[in-house]
Amino acid sequence: MTSKNEDNDIVKVDFAFKRLLAETVEGDLANFCYQCGACVGDCPAATYSEDFNPREIMLKVLYGLEDELLGSESVIWECTNCYACHERCPQQVKPVEIIISLKNMLAARGGAPDAVNKVITTFETTGRTVPYSPAIDKQRAKFGLKPLGDVPMDEIQALLDSTPEGEVT
Amino acid sequence: MKRFAFFPGCLIPARHPAMEFAIRATLPKLDIELVDLEGASCCPDPIYFKSKDKLSWLAVAARNLCLAEDLGVDVVTNCSGCTATLSETYHLLADEPELKEQVNQRLAKIGRTYKGTSKVRHIATVVRDEAGYEAIRASVTHPLRDLKVAIHYGCHLLKPSRIMNVDNPDDPSVLENLIRALGAEPVRHRNWYLCCGKACQNEDIPNNMMHDLLGSVHDEKADVLGMICPTCFGQFDHGQMKIAKLFDEDYHTPAVYYFQLLALAQGIPYEKLGFEKQRFKPTVLQRFDEVAAVAEA
Repeated sequence: MTSKNEDNDIVKVDFAFKRLLAETVEGDLANFCYQCGACVGDCPAATYSEDFNPREIMLKVLYGLEDELLGSESVIWECTNCYACHERCPQQVKPVEIIISLKNMLAARGGAPDAVNKVITTFETTGRTVPYSPAIDKQRAKFGLKPLGDVPMDEIQALLDSTPEGEVT
Repeated sequence: MKRFAFFPGCLIPARHPAMEFAIRATLPKLDIELVDLEGASCCPDPIYFKSKDKLSWLAVAARNLCLAEDLGVDVVTNCSGCTATLSETYHLLADEPELKEQVNQRLAKIGRTYKGTSKVRHIATVVRDEAGYEAIRASVTHPLRDLKVAIHYGCHLLKPSRIMNVDNPDDPSVLENLIRALGAEPVRHRNWYLCCGKACQNEDIPNNMMHDLLGSVHDEKADVLGMICPTCFGQFDHGQMKIAKLFDEDYHTPAVYYFQLLALAQGIPYEKLGFEKQRFKPTVLQRFDEVAAVAEA
């Protein structure tokens, strides 16, 4: 006879993963989810994809199923960021914020999609998500608009660096 | 005249200068003054950069808000994405003192402190609340009579309502009323609440979603699709051609940003409003120029 603990159907909660998630901004809100499913009805991604279901994502978060959440089968990038689940959640879990926290964890491992990384890199190097080109100012001049202003990149890059002031990197 | 720090973001100034032109041309007629925010960066965007690192995202957003705090004015945004980033930052840092402290540690590296004294307002609410529908109606010299405008709210103008404070997300009225103030007729199609899908990285989802949304717009025989967000605009201008091809549909409802409609109604001629850059050109609007020419003759 096997004890319950040896039963393969029993899910083991991965507390280490949950602690890591809780370190992200608002990642700790996940624990308030009671699986009511209010996030599902209005979710456009759930409506248009059989794979994406915010309640199931939250259940996997409660268990800390890292491989399913962040592995090659991850569906988190199917989220449309519409914030309907944030609006509906009676527990103020903000499922979309949990999904974005999961994306933060994935990005820290270099796992963000290429299309996403491209925009991130443009922002980190130019301070904009649309890279500057002289053609832009030419178009603006046609409407009597001033050229785009300079973004002080030294300030932006200092803010992106998580090292505290005065510490040697 | 009420003054606001103008946060134009990335998309409108770089990709859609006609929208910025329309905003700058129309707001003075509603007694709203825009002050430029020198040194502003990307908000940063709530889809891509926020997905990399929320704390850095908050720090850069807080720096943008600091620029408005220096001027002692509230911020007005013309993009729903920028509104989402800056409003979320304002509310989150007001509610979470520890997070505000963490953000201010980052800002200390550039000699700045975020205080939380400048609120963030979407431009649709600024014209609604500071000018009012009656003042908009009074500014109209060329009413857009018999123009049917299908309404697309997009997501971040309304949700999350606790943070955006714009309107009831389940039954909003602000865009309908803004359209009516121009003399036009708003049309709420049956898929009005759907998202544009831009953030989704599985393209089947936005493709099918836009197909349903554009189908319901098409059924209403609207003349144009009224937009308030430049990201949604891109999805429905460029994207409409893609969806029509993909699903073999005869879609042709031009997307138009609200402030370009306002500019036209205030008497700025069609050819000055940059519509020739759009994939679907709203040539139906040209008739309001002719009305003007007859009136002036």
